[in-house]
Amino acid sequence: MNLRWLSLSVAALAVGLCCGGCRDAPGRPGAAVTRPDKVTDFRLLYRQNCAACHGVRGDYGDAISLNNPVYLAIAGTVNIQKITANGVPGTLMPAFAKSQGGMLTDQQVAILAQGVESAWGRSNALGGQTAPPYAGSTAGDPSAGQKAYGTFCASCHGVEGQGVVNAKLHTGSIVDPSYLALISDQGLRSLILAGQPQEGMPDWRSDLQGTGARSMTDQEVTDIVAWLASHRVAAPGQFYSHP
Amino acid sequence: MSELLKYPGMSKVDTLSPEEKAAAHTRRVFLFKLAVGLNAMVGAVLAVPLVGYLLGPAAKKRSDIGAWVNLGSLSDFPVGQTRLADFRSPMAAFNDGETGKTSCWVRRISEKSFQVFAINCAHLGCPVRWFSESRLFLCPCHGGAYYEDGSRASGPPERGLFEYKFKIAGDSLLIHAGNLPTLSTEASCREKPLVQIEAAEPAEAANAGMPDATMRSTTWQG
Amino acid sequence: MAGLKISKWLEHRLGFIQPLKQAAEHPTPSNNASWWYVFGSAATVLLMLQVVTGILLALVYSPSANEAWTSLNFLNHNVALGWYLRALHGWGSDFMIAIVLLHLVQVFLFGSFKFPRELTWMVGVVLLLLTLGMAFTGQVMRFDQDAYWGLGIGASIASRVPFVGADLVHLMLGGPIIGGATLSRFFTLHVFVIPGLLLAGVAVHVLMVLKHGVSDWPMPGRLVRRSTYEREYHELTLRTGLPFVPDAAWKDAVFAAAIIFAVMACAFFLGPFGPSGQPDPTIIQTAPHPDFAFLWIYAVLAFLPPSLETPVLLVVPVLAITGMLLLPLLAGEGERHWARRPVAVLSVSVIAVTLGIFTRLGTYTPWSPVMDAWSGDAVPVKYMHNRSPLEREGAMVLQDKQCRDCHSLNGEGGMRGPKLDAVASQMTEDQIVRQVLQGGGNMPAYGNALNPAETKALVSFLMTLRGHDLQPAMNASRELLRESRMEQTAGSADSAAAAPEKAGQQR
Repeated sequence: MNLRWLSLSVAALAVGLCCGGCRDAPGRPGAAVTRPDKVTDFRLLYRQNCAACHGVRGDYGDAISLNNPVYLAIAGTVNIQKITANGVPGTLMPAFAKSQGGMLTDQQVAILAQGVESAWGRSNALGGQTAPPYAGSTAGDPSAGQKAYGTFCASCHGVEGQGVVNAKLHTGSIVDPSYLALISDQGLRSLILAGQPQEGMPDWRSDLQGTGARSMTDQEVTDIVAWLASHRVAAPGQFYSHP
Repeated sequence: MSELLKYPGMSKVDTLSPEEKAAAHTRRVFLFKLAVGLNAMVGAVLAVPLVGYLLGPAAKKRSDIGAWVNLGSLSDFPVGQTRLADFRSPMAAFNDGETGKTSCWVRRISEKSFQVFAINCAHLGCPVRWFSESRLFLCPCHGGAYYEDGSRASGPPERGLFEYKFKIAGDSLLIHAGNLPTLSTEASCREKPLVQIEAAEPAEAANAGMPDATMRSTTWQG
Repeated sequence: MAGLKISKWLEHRLGFIQPLKQAAEHPTPSNNASWWYVFGSAATVLLMLQVVTGILLALVYSPSANEAWTSLNFLNHNVALGWYLRALHGWGSDFMIAIVLLHLVQVFLFGSFKFPRELTWMVGVVLLLLTLGMAFTGQVMRFDQDAYWGLGIGASIASRVPFVGADLVHLMLGGPIIGGATLSRFFTLHVFVIPGLLLAGVAVHVLMVLKHGVSDWPMPGRLVRRSTYEREYHELTLRTGLPFVPDAAWKDAVFAAAIIFAVMACAFFLGPFGPSGQPDPTIIQTAPHPDFAFLWIYAVLAFLPPSLETPVLLVVPVLAITGMLLLPLLAGEGERHWARRPVAVLSVSVIAVTLGIFTRLGTYTPWSPVMDAWSGDAVPVKYMHNRSPLEREGAMVLQDKQCRDCHSLNGEGGMRGPKLDAVASQMTEDQIVRQVLQGGGNMPAYGNALNPAETKALVSFLMTLRGHDLQPAMNASRELLRESRMEQTAGSADSAAAAPEKAGQQR
């Protein structure tokens, strides 16, 4: 009797599962696999191609933060799309467009550039102020740059750019020749303009307090970049200093 | 047996003596063996076209496999870079669909010298991927790695990548493709060409083995 | 009454109902009416399931390279219950291999292959190979990326055969490339040739089981002798015999039902296998993976040194199959009980553990580079805290140069190389520099891919990776040198400049 009940209930369960459950059976397969060049989901594209250096959420990465409305506002979608497609030669930013030897179609690059903008951009990111342009147009003057550096940067990065290490701050050298060999002038400029908010670095509006508080001018930014660039050496990255 | 219904095979056999029956039997055994032999002969002759049909794909002459394929304009391949190029196999048949397509890696060493690598790993044929940053080909299956000139870097492959023969016709790059590249059906470049490095400048010659200096922001000193 | 009449009428015409009934009710020693004797019949029932579901799938499947992948997706999404039929067929095949292997192990450990059942075992070995053949050709039927590159792996193995390698490749592929002809011939194998052989082989196998009877339960010390075994078995049957149906067969029936139910449940809850991306060889963003039954081969191929690969691939299968076929001829007599056959038990355990380990490794392929880890797996935030600009740039070098494809940080990234979370406590700066630039130990040399600034940045980042703030690795000789130099400097100021080793590190 027991056995009969058992077998009956098993059969009923099977029939029930098969008939009632096949609409939303757990094993029912999802959509067919998309070709890699037909993937148009920004989050997926970002996670596969950008997250490693720019951070999973666009910040705390080793490359410049994209989760920074100021940077997005200053650089603009066009520049970001161009950089994503072509990379930045001489730096560690690779080209992603197929025409440049990457793996993404032009459409996917555009989706990334626009997706970054819509994910992390803000309409009033610059707070009504006019930021210096993304790319500098004039030549910089290193000695003027050193002066501007003293005003805006030295408190955190040290008088000579060698960095400051204390209870609050932990900045390394920004004039290390190897560092400067790996970052372009535009890279330095972008960092100065947009800051690194997650790391506490202010944007071009600076963190000067009190009466002298003001933003950096285009020329000052250009000069500071020129001063930093003047620390580049012919053969960086030597491990053993020869006497 | 009715007189009217004589069956065709009805013979004197039924009325034979036992000795005569035995004799008739041995004769029929002989005839049966003869018939079996005849069938064996017919079967053997029949087997020739059947087996020939079956072995057809293997019987094709080596020289008949493969043809020159156009990979496109030379300007698609910048000097000093390695690019993926798709082409339709010249051996593709009407029913091959997407599988008739394939890819290769084109490395342009200088204006006129190229290396064209099969995407198939020399280990077990999985598709290797070029990484321009680390200047390596990596295989996703068992981790075979190759340097940019196709030579083995690490992992299980016992040799470098397979290479296609190439030629330049006008503004186009042509390769000779045919077989799926494997150890015994290599891409058509059987004898490896000499390394086609253009006459190096004296400064570069000191750094022999280094990639072209244009690609690098700095070079090793000493 | 009418039923009896009909069956009598039928039997008079057919003539095999009665013999079948007698065969089913043949007496079998009571000691083998056991739960251990149910695997063979379960495998047969699974074969029937595969035949039925296979025929049903063939109603829709299109064996053409143009359309196969599309027809699989059509089955998955557009044909009512098509996905479930695909799932049943796929899981049925996995279960069938598992049950056939269990059957083999049971027969081996029980010594049932010994006299007079040698040929039954040999036919069984052929049936196992045919089952694996069905699994491989079935993987090709699921004509996706894995199938395409799986064929490539098959062709690459075939190409290693000396002298006739190229011909074998062409024969296997049906032409110079993987394409429509390849799918057609694997379809022919999967649907006509192998099933035909399999069904015929099962018939022979079962007929031989009926002829010799199901082997009796092995007893330690009861030896098999050619001269006496059959008489002993006959006496045992006379003394203790039960009709096979139903006294023994009810267990077979219950087990078979349970197995089929398990297949149904797996199909329902876990669904069909694939198809993965379309079989387009220009899609190179793929990491091919064989089906479960062949994962262990995939793993073995990753570990064989290059020089051994071809010999092992070509010789070991021949030896293994020959060994299995010859086993009953070499050990056709003697002890059957596992307790008296330590070598048998040991070899089964070793082979099972080996296959298990290789299969487990095959599920996560630690030897494969993770092809998009360099662009997808971020450096853990904790490793970026308080890093200098150069060290941050070094982390970027680590990503940019694809180091992550083989090396993991915080468990993310490839497992081909050692993880780097504590690399600085294991290697000194000099050792890291040397390893990066010159490679070695199965790592490519990166000297050509890194310029000095990149190397410097990379190494300075790696030097910050010390696990839970372990001590950095030290070069003891360098310490000695520094001490001796300090002594020298104390002695004479300019002797340091003349020291043969320039040990003054920048850091």
